[in-house]
Amino acid sequence: MAKTIYAAGRERQERIDNEEEFAPLERRGHMDMPFLLLVLILLTVGVVMVLSASYASAYYERGNPTYYFTRQLAFAAAGAAGMILVSRFTVQFMRRWSMWLLAGSIALLVLVLIVAEPIHGVRRWFDLKITTVQPSEIAKVGIIMSFSVMMCKYGESLRRFRLKNSAWKGFLRAAAPFAGALAATVALLLVEPHNSAAIIIVAIAAVVMFAGGLDLRLCVLAIGIAALAAAFVIGKAESSYADVVESGGGAYAMRRIVFWLHPEADPTDGGYQVLQSLYAVGSGGLTGVGLGQSRQKYLYLPEEHNDYIFAIVCEELGFIGAALILALFALLIIRGFWIAMHARGKFDALVAAGITGMLAIQVFLNISVVTNLLPCTGISLPFFSYGGSALLMQLAEMGIILSISRDMPITRAG
Amino acid sequence: MNRAVKKVRHNGEEPIGAVIGRTFILLLVCGVAAFVLLGFKLFDVQVRRHGELEEKAIEQQTRESAVKASRGTIYDSGGKALAVSATAETVYIDPYMLKLNGENAADISSHLSELLGVDYDSLISKFENTKQRGLPVKRKIEGEEAASVRRYISENKLTSVYLAEDSKRYYPQSSLASSVIGFVGTDNYGLEGLEAKYDEYLTGTDGRVIRLKNVAGTDMLFSDYENYFDAENGCDITLTIDSTIQYYLEKHLKQAVADFDASGGAAAIAMDPKTGGILGMASLGGYDLNAPFDISEEIMESISGLDAEGYSAELAAARQRQWRNKAISDTYEPGSVFKIFTLAMALEEGLVDENSTFYCGGELSGVPGRTGAPYHCWKAGGHLTQTLSEAVQNSCNIAFINIGLRVGAETFYKYIDAFGFFDKTGIDLSGESASIWWSPEVFTEADNKTQLASASFGQTFNITPIQLVTAVSAVVNGGDMYTPNIVKRVTDADGNIVLNVEPKSVRKVVSEETSATVRGILENVVSQGTGRNAYVKGYRVGGKTGTTTDTVKEAAEGIKEYKVSFCGAAPMDDPRLVVLVILDNPSAAKGYISGGNMAAPTVGNIMSEALPYLGVAPQYTEEEAKQLNVSIPKLQGKTEAEAAAALEKAGLTYKTVGDGESVTDQLPAPNASVSPGTKVIIYMGQPRPDAEDVSAPNLAGLSYSEAKRALENAGLFIRSVGVPATASGAVVSVQSVPAGDTVAAGAVIEVTLIDKSIQGQY
Repeated sequence: MAKTIYAAGRERQERIDNEEEFAPLERRGHMDMPFLLLVLILLTVGVVMVLSASYASAYYERGNPTYYFTRQLAFAAAGAAGMILVSRFTVQFMRRWSMWLLAGSIALLVLVLIVAEPIHGVRRWFDLKITTVQPSEIAKVGIIMSFSVMMCKYGESLRRFRLKNSAWKGFLRAAAPFAGALAATVALLLVEPHNSAAIIIVAIAAVVMFAGGLDLRLCVLAIGIAALAAAFVIGKAESSYADVVESGGGAYAMRRIVFWLHPEADPTDGGYQVLQSLYAVGSGGLTGVGLGQSRQKYLYLPEEHNDYIFAIVCEELGFIGAALILALFALLIIRGFWIAMHARGKFDALVAAGITGMLAIQVFLNISVVTNLLPCTGISLPFFSYGGSALLMQLAEMGIILSISRDMPITRAG
Repeated sequence: MNRAVKKVRHNGEEPIGAVIGRTFILLLVCGVAAFVLLGFKLFDVQVRRHGELEEKAIEQQTRESAVKASRGTIYDSGGKALAVSATAETVYIDPYMLKLNGENAADISSHLSELLGVDYDSLISKFENTKQRGLPVKRKIEGEEAASVRRYISENKLTSVYLAEDSKRYYPQSSLASSVIGFVGTDNYGLEGLEAKYDEYLTGTDGRVIRLKNVAGTDMLFSDYENYFDAENGCDITLTIDSTIQYYLEKHLKQAVADFDASGGAAAIAMDPKTGGILGMASLGGYDLNAPFDISEEIMESISGLDAEGYSAELAAARQRQWRNKAISDTYEPGSVFKIFTLAMALEEGLVDENSTFYCGGELSGVPGRTGAPYHCWKAGGHLTQTLSEAVQNSCNIAFINIGLRVGAETFYKYIDAFGFFDKTGIDLSGESASIWWSPEVFTEADNKTQLASASFGQTFNITPIQLVTAVSAVVNGGDMYTPNIVKRVTDADGNIVLNVEPKSVRKVVSEETSATVRGILENVVSQGTGRNAYVKGYRVGGKTGTTTDTVKEAAEGIKEYKVSFCGAAPMDDPRLVVLVILDNPSAAKGYISGGNMAAPTVGNIMSEALPYLGVAPQYTEEEAKQLNVSIPKLQGKTEAEAAAALEKAGLTYKTVGDGESVTDQLPAPNASVSPGTKVIIYMGQPRPDAEDVSAPNLAGLSYSEAKRALENAGLFIRSVGVPATASGAVVSVQSVPAGDTVAAGAVIEVTLIDKSIQGQY
């Protein structure tokens, strides 16, 4: 009896997996409430912090201290609604569009190079009047979705890299579509140029492939190579210190690395942003100067409501407040991976892990930059940094995870 | 349960188990390890480095504007301001803000150099120090200049240029008492004189306002953070110096230096003997306090030919010379003035009295320890037998060696100590020098009395002028040694007295009786003796002359350079004023070099103006009354008879020109002061002929009547000051219009009469 139930279940499951049948919506489970709550808490705190962090610059630059806040609030509301909407579509439904999403995002990356007006010499944005849209944000989801699809399809061939019996040929054939998609995306991002997005794309690709079962030895090898490269770059930065600091030479990226290591060498220019961020973070102390009381936001700290909003959080709320927010992020990320681990199938699991991994990478890189753990790169903090389209995208991604959570066997069983 | 889930998940593509394992690794790495790392880093920056980073943040976030404390005013004893502070502003540039806000250094530099007259190149190079903030460009600007900079800043919304409040020191009396008052540097820190000595009181404490500012330097929005620290203005200082007496002192000292060509300069001190308060203190070579670094054109010319190094060295030396307060910083051998103390101590010890007699045969031998030539008196042939008073009047060295030997080395040394000659006086001025004396062992050697003998008439040691005046004051005031002081009172900005200097008698040196005896003898010196050129009609002036050579220089270079001095006091029944004048290296071409000839008349001139100013009423003898210069009455419109009566009443004679009914004009003009008996010319019914220019005759060395005649012949009139015209040895020492200079006919020329009857280096 039990066996028949299993067989029937498997059969149906196969039909679903093979997109022959959709799970009817009324039969789906509830959204994962802890995940949803964590998102909404972080979103609320983030919007409040935009108000606090931006009112000085909004006043000076826009003549209206709540300019950024009201916009962010509107996008947050729209984004939250969008998140719920997205969660109503099954991931299996989305799966069909995955490769198109990748192709579309690559097309947009090409288009942005052609039509976008350069801002500060870079072409990253489509100006939609209400807001700007970065195709790189779409590309991130495109990579996650398409890599998840491809890992389901070719994953088995990537499990083990063998030299014997020409087995490596099969491995390379399986790896080729990944390499192609990644190379095209990264190349286009470097042309924009948008290095931080390229870094994130590579990282999330690695996360999906790692989760999907890529040969562990290759993963270790890649990490080893990355570590060596980092060590080499740091060594190079130390040796070109004099050139960069005293004669103002050095490549753009090299200068950033030198001033990451020695921000105090040029407090007015090269090290300005790093130092101002550290002043803000350090001023907070254990308990902070109080919500709304930041002094660094008075135009000292550039990008104080964007990439450096967490510095203002640290200044105003202190170590206790900042650590609390870190803990909320950690819980969200843990819950995201937990959902991945409990997902209905491999594709669901990979998408959930990919999106959660992307979230984790962005949070980690952003806060590392704010605290000068890593060199300065332009990475925003999810739910906190000001930016309408990015917030919409992030909430849509959360909607995907919520959708996955609804199809988890344990929720459905419950 | 888990197993069941896994089974359900198995969807035929591949087992999900591996994904779960890998995802769990991601969970641990991204969800736990990464956040632990961030937590540690956050703790490091926020908590561990909190103090350091917060300090730097506050440093850039706060704008501290100094509220400058106003430097206190220096007043003379009558409340006249000698040094005051006014508000000014200093222009600063902030290269850090220039770089931060991308302002144009070249543009700003060219504007500022135009507005302020500063060098463009040095300004633009200052802007290159982009890590610095607040470099001064021009200090202490005022009025329109400051307003123009302020306008420029606000019109262009500059953050790299700003003005800060500053204060500027003014000296309304410019060079008056310059060596005493001193001056301040650009940062208003006292550099010389009282400005330096009392800097602590004068400066006050700057206040601060701390405000939060945004990056553009303006106040932060919605911020009520503001901290005030009130400025405490500096204290005001009231001096014992009286600017009128100071003026007399400087005027006559300057005149003496010019008259006698004293190339080494001169110093003068006027002291109130009853308090030790300095009424005036002058060093020749006074300078304009408002431009203390400016050197006289003569000196600039004399050093202009030097190379750069020599030029700057000479310039620095010349500045030091002009700032030097000789009255406290120079030491000198006082010579015969010092006999006052030998006299006082011998009287106090009862070793001599007014009936004692001394014999001077012109030289003295037999002083133990003296080898070679015997001691000589300045007067060849000697003074023969003299009373004590006569010995002082004559300034007889031989008599004083005998008095000194009678006192004995140990007692002598003890009195020198009591008169304060071994220690600095402790006057409240910087730069007081110490005296130079024999050690007590050498001075009191049993078989060598030569130090004692020389010291008895004021030689072989060096003291400062202030020491001498202080000790003389003690001798004449009844015996009380006061600590000389120049600051009477320090009051804070609210008028509370912070420091009040009460006259302080440190010890009694001689008795009232001794003091009275010495006063009587010193009065004789002026009325009958070597000091008679210090005579002032109507006042009982006493004093003592001194003439010494720089023996070191004489031995080394064979050049005799004299220091002549006179220390006088008046009125001698109750002294109110002690004045010391020292002229350094006067020229022999300008008269016989001696304290009596050169310094005594200077002291007399100072006294003649200072005593009436101090409210000491003159008491003329009948003889003196006749000698007083008279003021010429106005005669126009009067008949000859009326004019004659007016002139006779004034003690004048006249001659008429023309034969009109009434006086149409007169010579000298009405109110001119002339000698009694002057023959006034009155023009009757005809105008006075246009005055022709005449050449002033040379009157030097002429007697009063000869001088009067010479002037009358030239169509000029005479007025005399100094010793009475009737005195036996009275001759003209200096004349108000130098010989050969042209002067309008009918002008009155003042001659200073001195008594040349006793000439010698006393």
